[in-house]
Amino acid sequence: MVKKKRIDEAEDVDLVPIMNLVTILIPFLLMSVQFISLAVIDSTLPAMGSPTEAPENADKPLNLSVMITDQGYTVAGSSAVIPKAGEGAEAGPTVPCTEPGCPRPESYDIKELRRILNDVKDEFPREENIILVPESRVQYEVLVITMDATRDDPERKEDGKARLLFPYVVIAGGAE
Amino acid sequence: MGKKTRRPSANKGLSITSLMDMMTIILVFLLKSYGSDDIAVKPSADMQLPVSTSLAAPKLAVNVMVSQKEIVVDGVGVLLLTRHNDEKSGEEVAAVPADEKHGQLISKLYERLLEKAEQAKDLASRTGNREEFEFKGEILLQCDKNLPFSVVREVMYTAGQAQFGNFRFVVVKGSD
Repeated sequence: MVKKKRIDEAEDVDLVPIMNLVTILIPFLLMSVQFISLAVIDSTLPAMGSPTEAPENADKPLNLSVMITDQGYTVAGSSAVIPKAGEGAEAGPTVPCTEPGCPRPESYDIKELRRILNDVKDEFPREENIILVPESRVQYEVLVITMDATRDDPERKEDGKARLLFPYVVIAGGAE
Repeated sequence: MGKKTRRPSANKGLSITSLMDMMTIILVFLLKSYGSDDIAVKPSADMQLPVSTSLAAPKLAVNVMVSQKEIVVDGVGVLLLTRHNDEKSGEEVAAVPADEKHGQLISKLYERLLEKAEQAKDLASRTGNREEFEFKGEILLQCDKNLPFSVVREVMYTAGQAQFGNFRFVVVKGSD
């Protein structure tokens, strides 16, 4: 009998105030929940607006730039345009779109661009800047996926992290 | 006999233990996803942020939102965008009205941003140029992913002229 009484007492703990508290907390927290998490991509203006810190490397700059057109990507350095693979230095984008005219953001060949940039990074391991030159018509989304592609390569790991390619992006005025 | 005595005690009060368990789990989940980001995004049909693999956390700065319909600075509307047909593709795209800009400079946005820059500098001088209030020309750009780059470029150029040279493009964090 004594045992039974003790169980009854334990069940009698008054949970109502806690319930009240929790019920108030839940709507309050629900209001401030963020279901999408945001991030930012940093970029600076090239040689206009407020002065930004000059790059410290005294070496001759590589001036690696990627032009984004409605045909694909054209990768260029300070001395030459990197030609299209296997076809010599003929005119046309270095990395053409997978579909002619690049109708969708997905038709830009990011993998091939990454491969080329990996090669450039192998050759110039200290270079961290890249200039993006998008055409006026290019969608903003394409610019963002290109910045993602030029920043790092998640498929090649270095010290357990994605290999950094060119994290400092400058967006140039671009072609009309 | 044993059964008979147990039943009344079970029906004595509503058992809220399981409810409490559930509430506690919900509470923990909500606390975990409690939004502590400095910036807020109002999702709408003409304001879809692009998805990016960037991991950099957003910091508080002057917030410029460019949707398909308008330009908003820190929650206050500045300018309505028009739509025009692109000469090459014939598609209808958003554009800044021609009478609202001088060359690439969007007059109304320029005035508003200049005001913001003055305010930020005033705050910096009043706080004795402490590092956390220093004017670094940082600006958060939230752009719809389908905007043509020409609009983004004009906004960037205008911001650059108004001494905002460090752009932070706001994106939605995504794995792919």
